[in-house]
Amino acid sequence: MGILSNILTAVRGGASEVGEAVVDANAMRILGQEIRDAEDAIGKARQSLTNLKATEIKLKREINSLQQDATDYESKALLALEANNEALAMEVAERIAEIEAEAAEKNTEHGQLSAQVNKINTMIRGREKTIQKNKRELEKIKTVEQLQKATSSMSTNFAATNASEHRVAKALDRVKNKQSHWEDRMEAGEWMAETNQSDDLDAKLKGAGIGASTQSGGASVLERLKQKQSG
Amino acid sequence: MSLTELAFKLNDHQSAEGTRFDALVTDDGVLEVTCSNNEEFPINLVKTETQLLSITPLFSVAEVKPEQLNELNEELLFISPAIPLSAVGRQGDTYILFGAMALNTLFENIVHELEVQAENTLDLLEVIEPLLV
Repeated sequence: MGILSNILTAVRGGASEVGEAVVDANAMRILGQEIRDAEDAIGKARQSLTNLKATEIKLKREINSLQQDATDYESKALLALEANNEALAMEVAERIAEIEAEAAEKNTEHGQLSAQVNKINTMIRGREKTIQKNKRELEKIKTVEQLQKATSSMSTNFAATNASEHRVAKALDRVKNKQSHWEDRMEAGEWMAETNQSDDLDAKLKGAGIGASTQSGGASVLERLKQKQSG
Repeated sequence: MSLTELAFKLNDHQSAEGTRFDALVTDDGVLEVTCSNNEEFPINLVKTETQLLSITPLFSVAEVKPEQLNELNEELLFISPAIPLSAVGRQGDTYILFGAMALNTLFENIVHELEVQAENTLDLLEVIEPLLV
């Protein structure tokens, strides 16, 4: 049975109360420890796999070298035969037989080692899949645990405020009020900006000597009085 | 980025849409974030080994009109796929709106997710509110 069914069963069974664990904390620690142990074991298996593979490669190289030797000696034996030196040819032939026997022995060893390497490799891959699966399961449990944690503080608040009816409606009203207040302020801000802009325009016009009284109040009144006196 | 680092960055940030954030890590390691576009329903952030979860507790079962509980559940099932970036669920007796992000999510995207979740909360509650006591 998957972990999700376990979680659901626990929740249906009433393990959803605040502070109550969906899955036994101890079981979770054990699962976590199992994953770590399995990862350690795989690490060690990989190390010995590397050593085995190195031996396999070394054997293959030795076999190739032996085969090369055998071929070399064969041509030499033929040369001895061509020179009618049968005794020497016989000696070389015996050497070839020795080399071939050694190569065959190493070949058998190489075959066994190869099979072993493949077997361990397949086993490691299988274990890795299991670890990944277990990790995902553990993540599900931890997610539910974190969800509980994140929900619980506010749930307690719900309980405290449950006495007040229409809690959500009131909260929504408060948000709406704030939003409309904010919009009003935005509108006021825009009005202010526009006003400042038109002030700027007036200042520019004044600067250019267009459409504005060019003299200050007192000076213009004195000028007017002087004109009256002379008139 | 740890939740504490995230809190510092959020407190210093204002989104392109003008949203500001008030973020605080509680004693039990939950990052509580209040978005200025919805100050009534804070978002709680928690981390697992692979995810950053953002949870807004909405209301408790006790706040649902008992005779309309089924209707509410059905409506939530219909609404959930239509809400961008968030999903509706239930944790214990509490209905929640939640989002899940990868741990390597960029800060700007976390901000966007929070902003959208805060708005989604208001939209959802507006629809559901008639079914609540």
